[in-house]
Amino acid sequence: MWAIETRNLRKVFRPLLGGKPIVAVDNLNLHVPPGTVFGFLGPNGAGKTTTIQILIGNVYPTAGEAFVLGHRAGAIAAKRRLGFLPEKFQFHDFLTAEEFLRMHGRLAKMDGATLQKRIDETLELVGLAERRKSKIREFSKGMQQRIGLAQAIIHDPDLVILDEPTSALDPLGRRRVREVVQYLKERGKTVFLNSHLLSEVERSCDEVAIINKGRVIKQGALDELLVNRSVVSIELKRVEPRVLEAIGKVAQKVHPVDERRITAEVAHEDDVPELARAIVESGGALMGLQAHRETLEDLFIQAVEGEGK
Amino acid sequence: MGVIIALTLKEAIRRRAFLGTLIILVALYGLSFLPRAFKEAFGGSERQFELGVNLAVLFGVDIIKFFSAVLAILLCAGAITAEIERGYLAAILPRPLHRWELYLGKWLGVMLFSAVNATLWTAMLWASVAIQGEPRVEMWRALPYVLLYPALYGTLALALSSFLGASIASMFTVAAGAFAYFSDHFLRPIAAFFDVKLLQQIVWLSEWTLPMATLKRLVQAQVDAILPPGMDDAPPWGSEAVLRFLKPELQSLDVIYVGIYIAAALLVGLVIFWRRDVQ
Repeated sequence: MWAIETRNLRKVFRPLLGGKPIVAVDNLNLHVPPGTVFGFLGPNGAGKTTTIQILIGNVYPTAGEAFVLGHRAGAIAAKRRLGFLPEKFQFHDFLTAEEFLRMHGRLAKMDGATLQKRIDETLELVGLAERRKSKIREFSKGMQQRIGLAQAIIHDPDLVILDEPTSALDPLGRRRVREVVQYLKERGKTVFLNSHLLSEVERSCDEVAIINKGRVIKQGALDELLVNRSVVSIELKRVEPRVLEAIGKVAQKVHPVDERRITAEVAHEDDVPELARAIVESGGALMGLQAHRETLEDLFIQAVEGEGK
Repeated sequence: MGVIIALTLKEAIRRRAFLGTLIILVALYGLSFLPRAFKEAFGGSERQFELGVNLAVLFGVDIIKFFSAVLAILLCAGAITAEIERGYLAAILPRPLHRWELYLGKWLGVMLFSAVNATLWTAMLWASVAIQGEPRVEMWRALPYVLLYPALYGTLALALSSFLGASIASMFTVAAGAFAYFSDHFLRPIAAFFDVKLLQQIVWLSEWTLPMATLKRLVQAQVDAILPPGMDDAPPWGSEAVLRFLKPELQSLDVIYVGIYIAAALLVGLVIFWRRDVQ
């Protein structure tokens, strides 16, 4: 059973006063294995938030199906085992941190004794134990994000959906979120992480899906997607066809950037010296060469731009 | 649902709605002593004093009706769409509760707040005239019907708030109330006096659109006994049909119609909220 599964999921928003319908999600097929930290990536307007809203039951799909922990998305049985940190939220800031968590625990149908224990644990986990009696309105933006994270996990859910959890956080706050994600992973929970901070995703996630225009364009384990491939930035005096041909024999992909610069992808970093030799032997005037291991950002840009072409 | 009711009450307190409660309490207390102040300042018989107390009570009941409805509109109009837009419901909706629980929880929270307010205000009015030796039990008899005012307007505002923002939902609710008031107090006498069928139909329609006039008659039936002489008499003109139109008799089904209207408005709002996308 998948933690999250969507089958040909589609959502079309039709403006009330006429106008062109907006296809936010278009035949999206997604499979999130249980117990993984799953990164959900995509450019702005790709349909990530709409997909998440469908998964938590706030938005009804136009077509297709979505399942959360084996239950139809939005079903009470699914919500019982789901924790969610929204991207945009306004908490009831007249409550103290403890009252706020108690309210969410009760909404999650927790019993009194378990709830009190979980409040203590969760506040400790997000680093707000000492501010438990403070009103949320007195919290900084980062602390509000952390109390938001606490409400998402107060009822010890099996699946936690985090929508941009680190957007308002400083590096220390981001590290705290990483620790919480790690804590959840160690306890066998599934974390579904939507974030624009690709370096964060790369550090935390086991699997990713990249979506664009409402469709999954790449999905898989990070280890498999980012195999030892290296991206090489090459600067020449002038890009010539014979040089491109020589590079093409060594590199898997070649992207001319302008008249002087080329980006090439090689299967392994050991191929970089071979690439330099090929350029020189083909008569190319090599002015500079810089290789780095392919990052998630490279993969993301390549996938999204490749989709656009 | 209890958590949502408690949260709605806390939200009402946060929005200083209790200040409204206190201000009206003071206003009602002051109002009830006006007849005595007049008597002491300008003299007058005991009969005139009693009449003054009756008028103060009638006006007091009107104040309670009006302000309990206003508070209910203010609290209900921003309860759904405005809270979605502000992001208050973003973390609550994914919780394992049905949307109807959230909706009814909010409604019950506001109704509870309104009921406590109206009861407190009635108690204040009753106590302050009672200590002057003029207890008027009629206002307690009217209270169940007075409570229908916040129920009617609050439910309508909540139903509109399920798809409209706070200001537009309040605006439409107030506009519906204003139409019903205008139609009952101004159009009705004109339509009766000049016997204009079209105007009579508009008055009839307004009563179905928002049964405020029906509700007014239900309250009035309870305080009839203290109405000053001549205040509620039929005018000395017009046929029987015209007079019946001008002052319709209370039907036993009137209160049921008001109840059905409130239940229907509640249901419509609930269905809209249940079926709409929330983001």
